[in-house]
Amino acid sequence: MKIIIAGAGEVGSHLAKLLSKENQDVILIDSSEQKLANFDSYNLMTYVGSPISFKTFKHVDIADADLFIAVTPFETQNITACSIAHHLGASHTVARIDNYEYLKDQGREFFSSIGVDELIYPELLAAEEMRTALKRAWVRNWFELYNGELIVIGVKVRDNARLTGMHLKDLASMSAHFHISAIKRNHETIIPRGDDYIKSNDILYFSTTKDYVDNIRELCGKQELEVKRVLMMGGSRIAIQLAKICGDEFKFKIIEVNRDKCIELAEKLPDANIVNGDGRDVELLTVEGIQDYDAFIALTDSSEANILGCLTAKERGVPKTIAEVETIQFINVAENLNIGTIINKKLLSSSKIFQLLLDSDTSNAKCLALADAEVAELVVKPNSKVTRGAVKDLKLTRDMTIAGLIRDGKGMPVNGNTQIQVGDHVVIFCLNGAIHKVEKLFN
Amino acid sequence: MARERLAFINFPVVLRLIGWLLIIEAGLMLLPLVTALIYQDTSIEGFTWSMSITLGVGAALAFGIKPKNHELMTREAILLTASVWVIFSLFGAIPFVLSLPGFPIVDACFEAISGFTSTGATIFPDVESLPHGILIWRALMQWVGGLGIILFTLAVIPMLNQRGGIHLFQAEMSGISCSRLRPRISQTAKGLWMTYIILTIILGVLLYAGPMNLFDTICQTLSTISTGGFSTKNTSIGYWNSTYVNWVIVVFMFLGSLNFHLLYRAGHGDFKSLFTNDIFKCYLIIVAVCTVIIGTHLFVEGTYDNAHDLILYPLFQIISGMTSTGFQIASFESWGSLSVVLIIILMFFGACEGSTASGARIDRFLVLMKNTKNEFYRIMHPNSITTVRVNGRPVPNEAVNKIIAFLAIFVMILAVCTLILTLCGYSFIDSVFASVSSLSNIGYGAGITSGSFQPLADVAKITLMFAMIVGRLQLFTVLVIFTKYFWVK
Repeated sequence: MKIIIAGAGEVGSHLAKLLSKENQDVILIDSSEQKLANFDSYNLMTYVGSPISFKTFKHVDIADADLFIAVTPFETQNITACSIAHHLGASHTVARIDNYEYLKDQGREFFSSIGVDELIYPELLAAEEMRTALKRAWVRNWFELYNGELIVIGVKVRDNARLTGMHLKDLASMSAHFHISAIKRNHETIIPRGDDYIKSNDILYFSTTKDYVDNIRELCGKQELEVKRVLMMGGSRIAIQLAKICGDEFKFKIIEVNRDKCIELAEKLPDANIVNGDGRDVELLTVEGIQDYDAFIALTDSSEANILGCLTAKERGVPKTIAEVETIQFINVAENLNIGTIINKKLLSSSKIFQLLLDSDTSNAKCLALADAEVAELVVKPNSKVTRGAVKDLKLTRDMTIAGLIRDGKGMPVNGNTQIQVGDHVVIFCLNGAIHKVEKLFN
Repeated sequence: MARERLAFINFPVVLRLIGWLLIIEAGLMLLPLVTALIYQDTSIEGFTWSMSITLGVGAALAFGIKPKNHELMTREAILLTASVWVIFSLFGAIPFVLSLPGFPIVDACFEAISGFTSTGATIFPDVESLPHGILIWRALMQWVGGLGIILFTLAVIPMLNQRGGIHLFQAEMSGISCSRLRPRISQTAKGLWMTYIILTIILGVLLYAGPMNLFDTICQTLSTISTGGFSTKNTSIGYWNSTYVNWVIVVFMFLGSLNFHLLYRAGHGDFKSLFTNDIFKCYLIIVAVCTVIIGTHLFVEGTYDNAHDLILYPLFQIISGMTSTGFQIASFESWGSLSVVLIIILMFFGACEGSTASGARIDRFLVLMKNTKNEFYRIMHPNSITTVRVNGRPVPNEAVNKIIAFLAIFVMILAVCTLILTLCGYSFIDSVFASVSSLSNIGYGAGITSGSFQPLADVAKITLMFAMIVGRLQLFTVLVIFTKYFWVK
């Protein structure tokens, strides 16, 4: 597929690298030569030029582009770029926006009429992710697949969990309702087999259905925690979004260093308490009563400050912490620390775009990007290899596992004896790079 | 002082890729073998054996070595690129040794390196006596080497269509900028090769329509478009004594020396980027001015009397020199030292970046000139900030520095080569000429080397072989291996 990305900012760069690794034809456009110089050693083409100029589009042959993604920092520029690209023949366009209003029906209709097919709003994606995290405070990751029929949850288990120390094969008797699809241990993601056992501090990824979520919570030794009061550090755009979409579900207090920004926040968010000060200042946190809060969210521009802020909050007894970590290299480190949930705008937007991409592709796989594993959703075609026997007889390689399936609109976890049938939607976990092997199994 | 540790270099991956490349080279040897079989000449056995040896070694490396990790980073890419050119040449030399009894190994290597680097300096004083298989092998080596061995493999081995391939591409095309035509590296490689192949076919048809027979056409085509310069005749292109052939070859040498990216674009209907290109314009001006100078000189001397000859002969020799081809239709040595010196200077700079031609390249000449102009301007206006612009875009200062460093190193290598050659007892002008000719991959000879490079001593030949490879890979890729930074973390 030929994919043209306009804007070599954070999201654009991340996507370009990712897609080029996936063997897509990527052209990256930016007006700054310096930004593009970082891509010399990647298997993609760069073009220096304005992302809204006809000359640029002509040069990159926009007419045969299958996907055009505009992710420059400016909303209006993105929309203009998509509109031009569409009229010059790009089959599908995606623009990054900053305005919630545009996502409503009226906005969508208008934008598709001027050639912008999809809108992505990274701040909103991040806010939604955080909202889920606040609602399910004991969970680290929560993904709903196929309209919630199948749920993938990531939970960190500690010594108090009943599961800790158990072999997976011993779990088999009680595990009819869930499937442990991946284990993240230290810096490594493992696709577990029967002889693996669960250690304290592992992050387990369960695939299950809605009814058994509580069951898993008990097994993991977690308490249901109802979050009411939320303390936020940093009044970024995500913070505003979060406060807006949550309405009165939670009570927010926002600590922001910049005085002008505080005033702006106070104007925009009448229901939230705004405090002017440094969120890392322990004294200030004590004065603001940090120990009474159920959740702490760190959303400043600095990933380091966010990580440290969360650690401080945890020490002060806040049960749920969420950190925005935009530096991708830090994510692995941060996950091993005691931080409840980690949010990354880039990863969220790129997995969103990835889904769009796969939707328009025939292979029909949907991906969720975990740290270094992928979750793919595929439809079983007639005569594919996976239908040839029960799962345990398929001789799957060690880097993939079948987590669950949806048959006739009903989700169910998969175990060794499951026989996969044609037409099933199957959810597969695989380590990075194994996705091609998976596709072979299904064709 | 902290102890320095050796950098990690993934040798298994390098060796395995070399294995694959050797298998490709064995495949290339099929053409001379078939030719030898058709003409039933003496090189059949030589090529059969060479092919088996190359295939054997290649397969052993490619299938015998199982690297633990497949990562190909800058170090491996540089090492692979530099060593492939040497190894290709060594295996390419086997047919000469096996087919021609008593042929010295150094000479065989010289001929092969001269072939792959598309230099065209030959060891054979009498090429006409060579078997057909050998002749076509010489032409084929030039054709493959012309655009680049690595570029060829990037187009055919899908395994390299990833980041490792990019590093290789950069190591081989280590010029001023390595722009890409298409998003994927293999598509870029294929695009460039298609342009090359199409030009080759057109030239083949045109030459065959003239007085040449099929065999000569194939050989001449392969070595013209690659701006190599191996001919099948002792008197080079002069043998046919045909105005038609001369003009066709002039045009195609010229095309082969243009930036293939621009040719590719022109082939897709975008002539504007070719004609508005500063380098192309500069190149045309240099060719025109020099043709006029030499033409006038020849007219004054009375060497040729009609206007057509006064244009064609100087133009042919100038383009043949600048494009690093090295074909001859007249003995330019007899034109007087003005012509010789002018042609040496032209040979030094060569043709355009991203073409099959080598040398210091017009692109660098242009940047050097513009930078020099800025330097003079700055003497009078010390506080001014100036930029060097090519094609309307400013060239970053680092790039200008690299270009100037390149030219300095180029001249130093030239000086060292000349020194070694003069130590071997050759005259100054001959030494300079042979050194420039090798470093810029031209293949012209003058004085002692005018007929062939055979009379040179082995030391001189080895020096020139080194110069050819260094020149073909544009200095840095080879020379960095001899620095501490390559080996130490």
